[in-house]
Amino acid sequence: MASITIEELRGLVKPDRVHRRVYTDPAIFALEMDRIFGRAWLYVAHESQLRNHGDFARARMGRHEVVVTRHPDGGLFALLNRCAHRGARFCMAPRGNSRSFTCPYHGWSYGPDGALEGVPYRQSYPASFRLEDPANHLARAPRVASYRGFVFASLAADGPSLREHLGSMTDAFDNLIDRAPAGEIELSDNSFQWEYRGNWKIHHENANDVFHPGFVHESSVSVAGNSPVASAAYDDGQTREMLRANGFSRREWENVELIGFDAGHSYMSGFYRAGIIAPHSDDPVRARYRAALAARCGEARAEEIILLDRFNNIIYPNLVVNAQFHQLRVVHPVAADRSIVAAHCFKLKGAPDEIFHRAVRFLNTISSPASMVFTDDVEIFARCQAGLADDADDWVDMARGLDTDRRDNDGRRTGHASELPNRSQFTAWLGYMTRAAA
Amino acid sequence: MSAAAAHVAPDLAREIEQFLYREARLLDTGRFEEWLELFAPDGVYWVPSRPGQTDPLAVASLFYEDRAILAMRVQRLLQHRAHVLAPIPRTTHLLGNIALMADDSASGEHGVECAFIMVEHREDRQRIYSGRCLHRLRRLDGAWRIALKRVELVDCDGVHSALTIPF
Repeated sequence: MASITIEELRGLVKPDRVHRRVYTDPAIFALEMDRIFGRAWLYVAHESQLRNHGDFARARMGRHEVVVTRHPDGGLFALLNRCAHRGARFCMAPRGNSRSFTCPYHGWSYGPDGALEGVPYRQSYPASFRLEDPANHLARAPRVASYRGFVFASLAADGPSLREHLGSMTDAFDNLIDRAPAGEIELSDNSFQWEYRGNWKIHHENANDVFHPGFVHESSVSVAGNSPVASAAYDDGQTREMLRANGFSRREWENVELIGFDAGHSYMSGFYRAGIIAPHSDDPVRARYRAALAARCGEARAEEIILLDRFNNIIYPNLVVNAQFHQLRVVHPVAADRSIVAAHCFKLKGAPDEIFHRAVRFLNTISSPASMVFTDDVEIFARCQAGLADDADDWVDMARGLDTDRRDNDGRRTGHASELPNRSQFTAWLGYMTRAAA
Repeated sequence: MSAAAAHVAPDLAREIEQFLYREARLLDTGRFEEWLELFAPDGVYWVPSRPGQTDPLAVASLFYEDRAILAMRVQRLLQHRAHVLAPIPRTTHLLGNIALMADDSASGEHGVECAFIMVEHREDRQRIYSGRCLHRLRRLDGAWRIALKRVELVDCDGVHSALTIPF
């Protein structure tokens, strides 16, 4: 593969546009796997999956698959799911509990920190063979760190700490946890997995794109608008309101605030205004929930927590947290034109069961492969990818809002009616891609 | 689910089979409004995301929809304005191994199970879905109506692309 120079990479990203190669070129994708997914902090697990010694959960880190483990000494490890002997995947369960991992091929067994603990028929290996030899241990991510239960790993030995990487985006995690009356959240055993024919970056660009809903989701907005309110008693009208909420006028979308950071993170302010999904909703379930939360932290604080109205906190490069609705999405790049999205939801400890049922309904409505919303997004992702494969025009525009965005002293960009999340993401992209090898 | 009925009146078996075939034909010919009419007013269409899933509230489903939600889905299918539905996908639903369950005379409902294959042609690809369907049917004003249609996909917990036409 021809190497791509730093100058060439710089030439692909302009303040107002990017070259289509960043979405389509397999050589660029390979570099992204080395320099972004091979270096950045990647979300890999939630600690509620790893409470006990020996608990493990499988995850993906770019082109690698890892098993995240809880060691008896309490430490967390991300082990490459590849036996040090002949390379076989040794773990196939998505999660579970095991004090050791034994490769099914020749029986090499490893501890939860990846150390080789035993090999059968030891005498047949050369005299120089040592269990302690690091070459015989499972490869593992050099850095694993957790922010309040959200476990991240990095394949780079050096680089910014997780706290430095997250910056002020930690408030997205804080708000999600603060919403639990018992002060604790649990990743529920709910998930969907999607595959789409498009580049991984397209998902993130769309997650904070304020102008697409009126176009992309017009069909579900209109059917929800025509659906009688009274008939939607089954889920307290939640599905209908979620479909309708995308039907903002252009002017309303222009007022949605966007915040972006040079680390690639961004979020938008919320836009659900009616029904049980609105931040101010005071239906009986919400009233009980609010009371439970206020019992822990007081009325004023409970109000502040509930009314933090943010949508889709993108933690570059692989995570989207929708704290207000207890949702989480992980984006996994497979190839330049192929990605997998996994969607999950959380249970707030101490909240009424119905609050959890609403999070499940949210996951159903927005993230099921049968969703009346996300199916249209994914269709557009594939159409972008198909169009970008055509070299008729090399440049992809992201100029909207360029003249009106503001930059605060702490570096955050704020704006409305803007593609600033794209520009924040590509600022980070170029940083990772052009930084000298660690 | 109750055991397969030892004795089912042949007329009843034929009638219920014909109902299922008609339902499949409505889906394959784009007559989604008539399909919706097959559901009882409190009827539910359910496609679990897990093998053996029993809880539709605490476990997310691929579909878990009452008539009101299903009516929105049907309107969306009919309007052809959704990007993923343009052009509207084409399907063939094939049913087999139809088995009536023992009559639950207390509720006046009949359970019926079948195996199905749905072939979907969407854009440039053909996809195959299969699994088992469990219908609970109820007599209402002289006609059978669906109280519950539960579709157990063999790949319910797999990696999916967009699911469009109901199974």
